[in-house]
Amino acid sequence: MEVKVLFFGVLAEVTGTRLKNYYEVKTIGDLKLRIYDDFPEVIHYNFRISLNNEIINNDPNLNNGDEIALMPPFAGG
Amino acid sequence: MKSDCLINGPITPDVITSLMEKISERTDTGGHSVFLGQVRADYENDKKVKAIDYSAYEGMVTVEVEKIKEIILAEFTEVKSIEIIHSSGIVKAGEISLLVLVSAGHRHHAIMACSKAVELIKKKLPVWKMEIFDDDSHLWK
Repeated sequence: MEVKVLFFGVLAEVTGTRLKNYYEVKTIGDLKLRIYDDFPEVIHYNFRISLNNEIINNDPNLNNGDEIALMPPFAGG
Repeated sequence: MKSDCLINGPITPDVITSLMEKISERTDTGGHSVFLGQVRADYENDKKVKAIDYSAYEGMVTVEVEKIKEIILAEFTEVKSIEIIHSSGIVKAGEISLLVLVSAGHRHHAIMACSKAVELIKKKLPVWKMEIFDDDSHLWK
């Protein structure tokens, strides 16, 4: 299975990418560990996570084709 | 393709004018409230902001704008329509980056609903801004 991870704002800058695909990850918790392995600096930033356009506060299972976003505090307007 | 609520670059007078022209097509409204958000030339450590580079999560912006409209329509029964447009990309100091237009039966609902919509946009819209200074350095806000 494959999921798409989007990085926004300052996280796009510190990771040097806006998009990375991850494979065979079961939960958001697993995915976060993989992201911290790839981009250790991310752990120093405050961010929320969305799964398929909905902000999540738990650790749901992931499915093939899911879109996950790492989002620093919003600053629109 | 950009969603309807995101515009690449500043919200120009042409965009604002075309929305104003649409107002005349309605006859069930008696009050309209407009909020325009403008890029300020703030100073940070003696450096002046010359522009903001906005980035947005397009798919989620579309979802959240619809949710904001639903909240406003449920709370303010006289509101007939809401337009929300936000910039993405570069907007120079002095230019407009956010437009909210609320049309209602009477002025009180138009004004209160517009104010609430702006607060919800600030809180819920997945948009980020990078200030660009006159020496081309930048800062994420």
